[in-house]
This record gives sequence, structure tokens and C-alpha cells, in this order.
Amino acid sequence: MGPVVDPKAKRYDRQLRIWGTHGQQRLESCCICLLNCGPTGSETLKNLVLGGIASFTIVDGQKVEARDLGNNFLVSASSLGEPRAKVVTELLQELNESVSGSYVEEVPEVLIADNPEFFQSFDLVIATQMREQDMTKLDDICRATGRAKLLIVRSYGLVGYLRASLPEHRIVESKPDSQLDDMRLNQPWPELVAFAASFDLASADDVTHAHTPYVVILLQAASAWRSAHGGRLPGTSAEKAAFKASVNGMRRTADGVPLQEENFDEAAKAAFHVYGTYEIPKEVRGLLEDEAAGPRLRADSDEFWVLVAALRAFVEGEGQGTLPLEGSIPDMHATTDLYLKLQAVYREKAERDTAAVEAHVRQILGRLGRPADSISRETIKLYCRHARHLRCVRYRSLAEECSPETARGEALAAALRAGGGSGGRGGGDLGAPPCCDGALYVLLRAADRFFAQTGRYPGAPAALSPGAGASEVDPADDIPLLRQAAMQVLSDAGLGPNPRKSPDSGAGGGLGGLGGGGGAGGGSLPGTAAGAINEDLLAEVCRAGAAELHVVAAFMGGVAAQEAIKLVTRQFEAIKLVTRQFVPVAGTLIVNSMAATTTVLEL
Amino acid sequence: MAAAEPQWPAVLRTKELRDKIAAAKVLCVGAGGIGCELLKTLVCSGFRNIEVIDLDTIETSNLNRQFLFRKHHVGQSKANTAAGVVKGFCPSASLTAHHANVKEGRFDLDFFRGFDIVLNGLDNLEARRHVNRLCLASERPLVESGTAGYLGQVTVHLKGRTECFECQPKPTPKSFPICTLRNTPDRPIHTVVWAKDLLFNRLFGRPEAVSDLDEQAQREDGQQAQDGAADDASASATAAAAAAVPDDPSFFLRREGPDGPEGALEYAARVFERVYTSDIQRLTEVKELWEKRAPPVPLRMPDLIPESDMEALRTALRTAKEGGLASASKALGLSNASQKWTPAQNASVLLLAIAMYHETRKDEVGSSSFDKDDDLAVDFVTAASNLRSTCYGIPEQSLFDAKGMAGNIIHAIATTNAVISGLIVTEAIKILAGCLSAVRNTFLYEFPSRKRQLVTVNSEPPKKGCMVCGKTQLSLRINTETTTLSSLLSGVIKKRLAVNTPNLLAGGFLYEEGEGLEDDEQAAYAALLPRPLAALPGGGLRHGTILTVQDQSQHFSVDLILTHTDSLDPEEAPEGFLLEGELPAQGQGQEGAGAEADKDGASKAQAVPEEEAPGPARRMVAASVRETDDGVLCLDEEEEEAPKPASRKRALDEGDEGAAAAEEADGGAHGAKRAKTDGAGAGAAAAADEGDDEVMLIDDDD
Repeated sequence: MGPVVDPKAKRYDRQLRIWGTHGQQRLESCCICLLNCGPTGSETLKNLVLGGIASFTIVDGQKVEARDLGNNFLVSASSLGEPRAKVVTELLQELNESVSGSYVEEVPEVLIADNPEFFQSFDLVIATQMREQDMTKLDDICRATGRAKLLIVRSYGLVGYLRASLPEHRIVESKPDSQLDDMRLNQPWPELVAFAASFDLASADDVTHAHTPYVVILLQAASAWRSAHGGRLPGTSAEKAAFKASVNGMRRTADGVPLQEENFDEAAKAAFHVYGTYEIPKEVRGLLEDEAAGPRLRADSDEFWVLVAALRAFVEGEGQGTLPLEGSIPDMHATTDLYLKLQAVYREKAERDTAAVEAHVRQILGRLGRPADSISRETIKLYCRHARHLRCVRYRSLAEECSPETARGEALAAALRAGGGSGGRGGGDLGAPPCCDGALYVLLRAADRFFAQTGRYPGAPAALSPGAGASEVDPADDIPLLRQAAMQVLSDAGLGPNPRKSPDSGAGGGLGGLGGGGGAGGGSLPGTAAGAINEDLLAEVCRAGAAELHVVAAFMGGVAAQEAIKLVTRQFEAIKLVTRQFVPVAGTLIVNSMAATTTVLEL
Repeated sequence: MAAAEPQWPAVLRTKELRDKIAAAKVLCVGAGGIGCELLKTLVCSGFRNIEVIDLDTIETSNLNRQFLFRKHHVGQSKANTAAGVVKGFCPSASLTAHHANVKEGRFDLDFFRGFDIVLNGLDNLEARRHVNRLCLASERPLVESGTAGYLGQVTVHLKGRTECFECQPKPTPKSFPICTLRNTPDRPIHTVVWAKDLLFNRLFGRPEAVSDLDEQAQREDGQQAQDGAADDASASATAAAAAAVPDDPSFFLRREGPDGPEGALEYAARVFERVYTSDIQRLTEVKELWEKRAPPVPLRMPDLIPESDMEALRTALRTAKEGGLASASKALGLSNASQKWTPAQNASVLLLAIAMYHETRKDEVGSSSFDKDDDLAVDFVTAASNLRSTCYGIPEQSLFDAKGMAGNIIHAIATTNAVISGLIVTEAIKILAGCLSAVRNTFLYEFPSRKRQLVTVNSEPPKKGCMVCGKTQLSLRINTETTTLSSLLSGVIKKRLAVNTPNLLAGGFLYEEGEGLEDDEQAAYAALLPRPLAALPGGGLRHGTILTVQDQSQHFSVDLILTHTDSLDPEEAPEGFLLEGELPAQGQGQEGAGAEADKDGASKAQAVPEEEAPGPARRMVAASVRETDDGVLCLDEEEEEAPKPASRKRALDEGDEGAAAAEEADGGAHGAKRAKTDGAGAGAAAAADEGDDEVMLIDDDD
């Protein structure tokens, strides 16, 4: 990566510390399309413009109305009556002059229906405040471009919804939060063995003895153990304890009292490196066996799969079952000199491994008929260094998620039964209602069906009746129809109100009977999927009236922009401090600001 | 109780609540990353009466997230600018800005009582603790928040009902024994801190900044002298101290010759030779120091910068002066901040930076303090620390990394601030609505951990043992014969107890600070400052003295029980004292959770759940400081004061088992307490793979 242009280095300093200059470069070459610039869309895009994307295009068909003024910071009173897309574009451009912005004054649904080619020129399409039916179409369009990733964001009352959709998201730098160094003490290579054997601890002076790196101590202990146990390493917990004892037994003593030797303390703590077995992480094993790196590897395959294929060749060949060595070692108690020597042993092995992988890459590229130098050495090094943490996330399409044939009814049922997640289950959180995020997912989809039938959202006045004396709607009146729609969503997922094994009621399969007063009975069966759609939630969703509250929009704008950055930078970011789940939101994220919970549904 | 409360969220759509929101008086402390988002979210949610306090001015590096600010605002007040922009968006809102420090006397109890709710988006612990105390005293609800990178937190503090902000002890930045910095550095952070705190202040800073450190060094030396020769390390350190030429500050002044002042580059070269040649040479002669480690290697100027290259430096200096350049490295064409410099480049940058300081910013010499956004200061610290690292065989750092280490920079992005501001306002609305059972503390994680992205927990009731909202005594172990009142005040009272204007009372002893003192009183108190504690009037502050520390402005009071000691290990107590808290026995349930956490090894390196750890009821505050690092539960609002990571050794110890524990924790359902523990536990594991110096930074993959 070249030198960083100065003003940008300064402006982006704090974020460069998270995703690095190459992450920033990916961001700076990303073209984004935003559909609808209400509070949710505007907030999402604002966060990305601040981060420094290449360009954005806003598609929005509305004019600025009075109701936009209070809750969208990116429109002002002076712009009443102007196209909303234009106003927001102008304000966003002020935030960062290195981002170029444009807009299309058009209703996104119309564009989806009439001009699918429009989406070909974007890397990321962010669709906000749109309905399932249109999103399913857009998903197909984006996938067909072979380029555009789709991110769907929605704020609905106190509920937030986020879903990414793309065929596969390949990650090189997953930057996991916890990672043990790749020490290979269980499978030392000959040079490391020789290095360890070159130390004569017995005759070393006290200073050297106390400053011999623990790697050496452990390898010597392991070698002694092997000779005494027929070539085996410690297996049972008793043996492991005995091995640790043998390490401690190597300490130097004075009058029978062991000396204070920090390197031996470290050795005892790191003893597990010796008897833990080497394993390629299962996600990486999955990748090595993936068809995309095997029979389906083609001339136009992504470099990721070429590298995976090369890694596979390495594992099967030179690596003898191991991935390339990363080559870094942790700090340890040692003299600077010995530490540097040990470091060199690891680095040299890592360089040999990388060179072997590179040879495989060149060979594979040749076989595919691509220029042998079409993947740089730097890139290969990057993959080798992160080999343990390569990941690929494949997203189901919305059509797969929603159509009765492919819907994951079981997963949805489990979410509904379990309350969808563990969000509300804070310790001591007595009296908090069980998490209902699964039910909210169903109700959001139900609200879309409600809209398809009536032209408006539950509890909201008709959307397309400007000036037509928008009659007040009593939210309670909409509950029955919303409930009916929810039961249809469940039914499509194979989760009718009556479990399939008891077909006594609703023999006709129709749901009409649930629409009226009978619903309370039908919907309150404890423990069933339908039972999760309770009256309180129905009432709340109707009361919400599809309102876009700024607090939820601000929250979702932050979450969505963050997810967009992960998709664009191809990193899972380095929040080394807290998390251990390496995948980006692989399913649908439901944010419930009523109970302050979030849940990911993998449907 | 729940029955009497309005129902959340149904109450949200009532006109009554909308009116309450419009009428509510809100105080926002901080107009930075969180503050900007917060002000925007407040007015967009219907709030109309807002006051905002912020001391800072706008920097270029704020613009990637503090979206109310534009390039042309750089240098202006954050509070004034933010209020102006928001007012422009929403003319019906009343916004009052204070470009001021919240700790000023005018923001007193009456000021706080003028608000219905206080929202914090602050970047430093001292101010957050100050606001906490004022909120407790004025009985105003406080919503606290912090972000770091993708992490964030929002906590609600209601007097008498929930924990106050200080019920959970907060880690304070780690400090290093000064003898390590001066004589035996072995990690990059040591040379960076040396360059920033010692050399920078020596050359450009206020004389007091240096003398404080000298006092600390003397204390350590005296300490080790007392320990006697039994211990090798201390004997050698003492020898080193004896061998070191007493720093004559005048050496580091630019000399006035008969033909005018010493040339700026000549002066810089003289400093270089003193610091990297003769001082290092002298240290290598202290054989005791190098029995167990390799001695440093002195650098010689002519090896790094041949005379022919000096001319190039002169040209660069002229160009920089004439062209108004602000950066020495840029003037030398070193524009890639991620590229490490060679020793020769470091030497050139150092010389040029010193010379530029004297030639272009002469007025600041003698009063400067290190600022991470000051290019020249960062150039200087990078080069100075790298040269020292070269002497000691420590890996050098790129400017980008050295800057991060020197500035304690917490990475910061717009997305997290946006998320957090949404949460803060949601909690504020719940409080205004009276839905106190619905308030939650929220911790934001980057990736959905066990299918969650947020972890929300109910607030704990106030801690009985809290020194702020409970009433408790602390024990202070300190050398009462050598510690002066001045260092007690700066090190313990102001820094560790976050007291702003202290009054000290013990038997016949009284010391006061603050406005309203007569001149003669002030003079009398000032005269006490250099005296050792035991020699103060009224019998002195001695072993067994109970010292009452009060702060009228904070309505805060705590008793310190003094324990005299003349054997403090500088490793254990680098600040020269140990502060210990007296905690009541923990409840059974928590004890259990703590025990579990402790067993898995991860919790030892975590930030706050520390206090749940079982074992001796006397909790070593100093120890917890040393062992904490990630600050997950105590995130300041970006910028300053990143809780310093634990030592690399420490992290290494916990790493493997921490990871195992984290895996184990994934398996089962856990309560909220446990969830906190998990988070911090992973922090320990993270520290393991990153090494200390880089924990808060990123790996730039060259």
C-alpha cells in the first residue's frame, strides 16, 4: 500500500486504527446506492460518508414534507417541497468533500420494477423502509449483477430489522478476538527441534538458565517425555500433570529450594502447547474441502478460492496436515539475543511455508490460464498469515427464506418458542417479559402483507392519500387483520396455528377463522409458534403505525453502517476485546427497543 | 412498584410524555463523538431545552465522526459550534453552550439542580467521576456512556436506586516505574513514555513537569537504598542512580553565545549526543544493571548523520521555516506514517524537530505539553523513542503506531456513536416517563455474541462499600516520612480520588484549596506543600491517622486511614503508594460468580467485575489497576485516557486459559453478571494475542 495522502490520514486517523489503510482503501473505492432517505437511510449513509466511501447515489421519490423536519437531521425547513433525495444529497456532501454524491428522484419500487440494470454500477445497495415483496425482487437483481451486495434496513416503531444478502462474503482478515499463537510445540519442525536441542541447560550459568525461552524448556521436556514413554506425548490428565511436574523439576535449586525463574513459570503455563493436538480450525477445513476451491475452481474464480486451493495443496503436501506457519511468537522471558534467535527460527519457517504456497498459487494460476503473477506475493503473504482465520459466509436469498418450499420453519419455530434468543435473559432480570424478537420478525412480515392488502400499514393512515383528509385510524381495529397476516406468515413457514399432527380445526387449511374474535383462542396456545404472537405484541405493532422514530433510526443507522463496513472492507473487525463470534450478521438482526434486546435469526 | 409506573413502551405515544420531553431541561456534558450524535438525536426526538458543556476545540481527526463539524470549524469551540449547528437545524430548540471545563466552580450544585436529567459523553475519567458526584448530590438522574471502536456502553445511574458511576471501580492508566524508563526499558511503550514524559518535557515542557518526575525517581531510589543490598536489582538501580549525572536542567537550554544564540541544529546535535551517546555510555558502565540483560549500545551522530547530510538538514529547516511547514518528517519527505524509519532517518527527524521547535515555535519552549494532534510533537516523540529503542534492541515503531501509544489513542468511528446516542436517548425518555423499572444498562458488542449484539442488564442497587455513594473508608499505605503533602495531593487525592478542590482534615491539621481563601491563608497552605506528611502541623499525618478528604464542590467526603510503610515495591506501587478499599463481604450469589470467573483465569485481567472476585475482602485497588486493561465496562468517550493495557507478561499468563474459558462460556446460559465477565474475559484473551503495546491499536499488516 502506498503512502497515505496526508489530510486523509489525519481525518481518518481514528478509524485507520481499526481497519488499517487497506480497509480504508476498500471503503474509498466503494460506490453505494441508498434507497429511501428518511431518518433510517439518511443516518446510515451519513455514517458511511463520514467514513469516506467513494460515492453514493440516493434514490427517493418523495418531496420534503413537514413531517420530515422533526426527525431527519439532514433536511431543513427551508427545503420544504424540494425533492428529499436532492436535499439529503447536498447536506451529506458537506460532511466530506472527498465523497461524491448524486441522486435520482424516483420511487425505488418503480426503479426495481422498470430498470433493474440501474443497480449494476454499485458495490453496495442499502434498501431502507421497504417491503418484503420488493426486497425479494431487488435481492435477485443484485445477485444477478455479480457485484452489488444488498443490505436491508428498517425501523418500524420500536423495532429494527437488518439483513444482508449476497451469494458469499469472503473474509481474509477475520481478526478474531482471541487467538493463541501458532507455536507448533506439539509438532515441531526439524530446525526448531535442533534449536531446542542446542541448549545445555545443565551446564548453563544461572543467568542463561533463567533466561532460556520457555519454548526451549518445553521442547526439551517433551523430548525427554517421548523417550521415556515410547514416543508418545502426555495424553491423560494424570500424564499432563506429570508432564507439568517434570517441567517444574527442571528448575534450578539452591539448597533444595527452587530459584525464582520466570521462564519456568511461563513454561508451566504454556505446557498445554505441547500436548494439545494440532488442528486446522473446522471453518477452514470446510473451506479447504469446498467445491469452489476444487472442481468448481475456474479461470474467473475469486482470488480467495485460488488461495484456498493453494493452501489445500500445501496442507496435503509440504505442510503434512498443517497450515503455513504464521511465524510470530509471543513475548517471553528471555535475553534479547535468545529471543531474536528464536524469532528467526519461526520467521524462517514461515517464509519457507509462504514460498511453498506461492509456488502452488503460480501453478494453479497457470492451470487456470491466468497470468502467473496476477496475484501478488504480498497478497499471498497476507493469506498465509491469516490462514487460520479465513472465512466464507454464504447468505440465503430472501426468496429462499420466504418461500414455503425452502423456509426454515424449524428455526423459526425454535426462535418463537425460545423467545428468539437470550437477549432478555439478563441475570436478575426478574419480571422482564420473555424475549419476543422472533415474533416481531413474523409481525414485520405480516405488516407487509397487511400493506399489500390494504395499501397502508396497520395503525397508519393510507400511505398514498395525500390531502385526502387522512382519516384517523384506530390501531385496535387493525389487530384482527394483522393477526391473520401473521398466521399466514407462519403457515407459509409450515407453522400453522394448529400443528400438523392435529388437523382437527381448520381442516380446510384456511385461516379465515382466525381473523375475528376467535383469534384470542387460536393465538394463545402456550408453547406453540402461534402462541408467541400474543395480543400485546399485535397491539404494539398496530400502535406503532410504522412510525420511524429517530432513536431507532439513529441506532439502526449505526448498526447498518457498521455492517456495511464489514461487507466492504472484507474484514471482521477487530473488536478483540469482547466478542468471539466471528461471522458478520449472517441472518436477520432484530432489534427490539421495547425490551432492549437484539436477536439474530438464521432463517 | 411496577403497577404504579407507566407502561413502557405504551407510554411513548402519549401526549403527556411528548410534552414532558419538550419541556425537559437536559444537560449534555461533552460535545465530541457521542455529544454530536446525542444533540442531534435529542432534538430529533423532541427535546427542546438543552445545555452543552465542552472544553475542547475541533481537530481535523474529529471530522470522521463528529458530523456537526466541518473543516472550516477546526480550531473553534466544540460546544459553541455544535449548539449553533443544531440550533440552525431546529430553530425552535433552545441550546445553550458553555465552552468550559465542567469542573469549574460555576457548574455547581445549583447549576445541576436546574436540569431534569444529565447525559454524559465525556472522554476522561476524572470529569466523569466529578459529574457523578454532582448528580448524586443534586439528585439528578445520570445517563453515562462511552465508546471505543466498535464497543460501547450506556449505563443509568439513579441515586439510591442503582449503582452510581463509581460503585464499580474504574481502571486508571498504568504508570511505569521511573527507573525502568530511565535505565532499563525493554518494551516499545517504555521508550515512548520516556520520550513523551521525560525528554519532551525536559526540552520543551514546563519545569514542574520534570521536577515531579525527579521527585518520583528520588522516592524510588530512596526506597531501594532502604531495602539495602540484599536485593540485587535495587542495589544496581541505586548504583545507576549514583552514577547518573544529576540532570542539570540548564544543559538542555539553548545557549547564548557572544555571537547570538546557539544554532538550532547545533543545539539539537548537542542534545542528541548527550542523550544517546554520553548518557547511554554512562549507563553501560553501571555493571550491576547488565548482569542479567544486555547493555544498551550508544549511538554516535557521525555514524547516523555524516557532516555532508547536516547541510541537507539545514536546507530542510530553512524550507520548513519559510514554507510554514508544521512537520519535521514531512519536511524530510517521510510521508508514509506506517513505514518505520531507519536509525539515520530517526536521527534526522529528531534533530530537525528540535530545531523547528526552537525556530518556529520559540514561544512555546518551556511551557509546551505533548499533544497527539501536534505533528511536530509526534515527530519528536517517534524519533526520540525509536533512537532509544535502537540503543536497547527494542523494536522501533512507525509514526502511526508511536502516535497511538503516546496519545493513548482510542480508535473511534461514527457508527458506534450513532448506536450509543440512540440508546442514551431511549434511556433518557424512559427516565422522564417515570418507567424506572424499564431502564437498562447496555453493552454493545461488535458481533452478535451468542446471537446478541447488545447485552442489556438491569442496574444493580447501590454498593454499600462505594466510597462515593456509600460511606466507606479507604486505607492508604504510603511513606509518611518522605512523601510530601504536594505529592499526596497530586498523586492520591486529585488523581486517584478524582477530588477537584480538596479540604483535608485530621486532628489538628487542616488544609484547604479553592476560591474564597484569603491571600494569607493561601500562602500559609502553600508553605505546607513541600513538607513531608509526618512533619505537617497538628502532629503530622502519620501511621494510624484518619485523614478526612472533602470536596465541597462535589459534596464528596471520604476517610483515608494512613499506614506508614517504607518498603513499597516500585513494581507493585509505581505511584509510590497503595490505596486499598474496605469492602463489605459479598453476597453468596456474586461470590459464586466471582469464583467461577476467577477460576477460569480470565477475570483476573478484566476491568470491572474484579470486585466480584472472592478472597480477601480487602481489595487491592492498586492491584486491580495493574491487572485491568480492557475497560470494557468503563469506556471513556474516545480520545483520551484509554485504560492502559496490562503488561504483556500478564496477558500472556491469562491468554490460553482465558480463551478456553471463553469457549466454555459460550456453551451455557449465563446471567448478566456472567455476561459481563465473559466480555472482559475475552479481553484478557485478546490481550494475549496482541501483546500489550498493540492492544488498543491495530496491526497494520505493513
